[in-house]
Amino acid sequence: MTLERRDGRPYYYRSVRDGDKVRKVYIGAGEKARISHEEDVLRTTGRKARLEREKKDLERLEALAAPVLEVSEAAEILARAHLVAAGYHNHKGEYRRARRA
Amino acid sequence: MHGELELSEETRDRMAELRALSDRAEAGDKQARRKLRLMVRASSAEVVGRASDVGRRAGRVLARSAAGGDPLAEEALCAKLDRMRAEIAGEDPTPLEVLLTERVVSLWMLTTLLEVLLASQYRRDAGGGLKRLSPPYLIQQSRILESATRRYFAAIRELARVRRLQGERRSG
Repeated sequence: MTLERRDGRPYYYRSVRDGDKVRKVYIGAGEKARISHEEDVLRTTGRKARLEREKKDLERLEALAAPVLEVSEAAEILARAHLVAAGYHNHKGEYRRARRA
Repeated sequence: MHGELELSEETRDRMAELRALSDRAEAGDKQARRKLRLMVRASSAEVVGRASDVGRRAGRVLARSAAGGDPLAEEALCAKLDRMRAEIAGEDPTPLEVLLTERVVSLWMLTTLLEVLLASQYRRDAGGGLKRLSPPYLIQQSRILESATRRYFAAIRELARVRRLQGERRSG
C-alpha cells in the first residue's frame, strides 16, 4: 500500500496480487486516500499483533505438553524393554512370548 | 522449560540405551537380550521412579494451567488426578504400572486442558468476541490435541497390555 503525494494532494493505492504479478489499484485521493491508508495500516498492525499473540500461545501450549509427551515416550520405551527382556517380541503390534528352542 | 519437568540427561541416555538394546534383542540378538534383562533389573525401578516423578509434576502444572488461577479449581483437579492414579494403578502396582498409570493420568489432564482451551476459543470466535483466531492457529492447536488424544488412548492400551502379559507370566 502506498500513499503518494502529488502537488501536496495524497493519492492512495493498494497492492493486489494477481497470479504472479502484483498490481497497484487506485483507491482514492484527498481525505478518502488518507482514511483508507490509516485503516489499512491499523488492519495490518492488528493482524501482525494477532499472529504474534497466536505464535506465543502455541509455544506456551507446546511447552506445557512437552514434559507429558517426554514421560509418555519414556514409559513406552520402558514398557517395551520390560516385555522384550521378559522374552516377548512384537508381532504386528501384539506382544507374544518367544518360543523356546 | 523448568528442570523439574524434564528427564535428566542420565535418564535420557538410559532410555536411548534401553531402546537400542530392545531393538537388537527383538532382532534376535541373544547377547543384547541378556544385557537388556540385566539393565532392566538393575536400573529400572530408579529410572521408572524418576520418570513417574516428572509425570506427576507435569500433571500438577497442567492442572494449575487448567484452573486459570483459581486455587479451589486447582485443588479439585489435583484431587481428581490423585483419585485417578489410585483407581487406575490399583492395589500393589509394580513400578512399571505406576509409570504407565502416571502416563495415562497426565495425558488425560493434557487432553482435557487442550479440549477446554480449544472449545473456549471457538466460543469466543463464534460469538464475535474480542479476537478472531486465524485458521492456521486453530489447525495447529487441533493437531496438538489430536496427537495428545492418540497418545492417551495408546497409553491406556499399553497399560492393559502390560497387565495382561504380567498376569500371564505370573500364572504361566
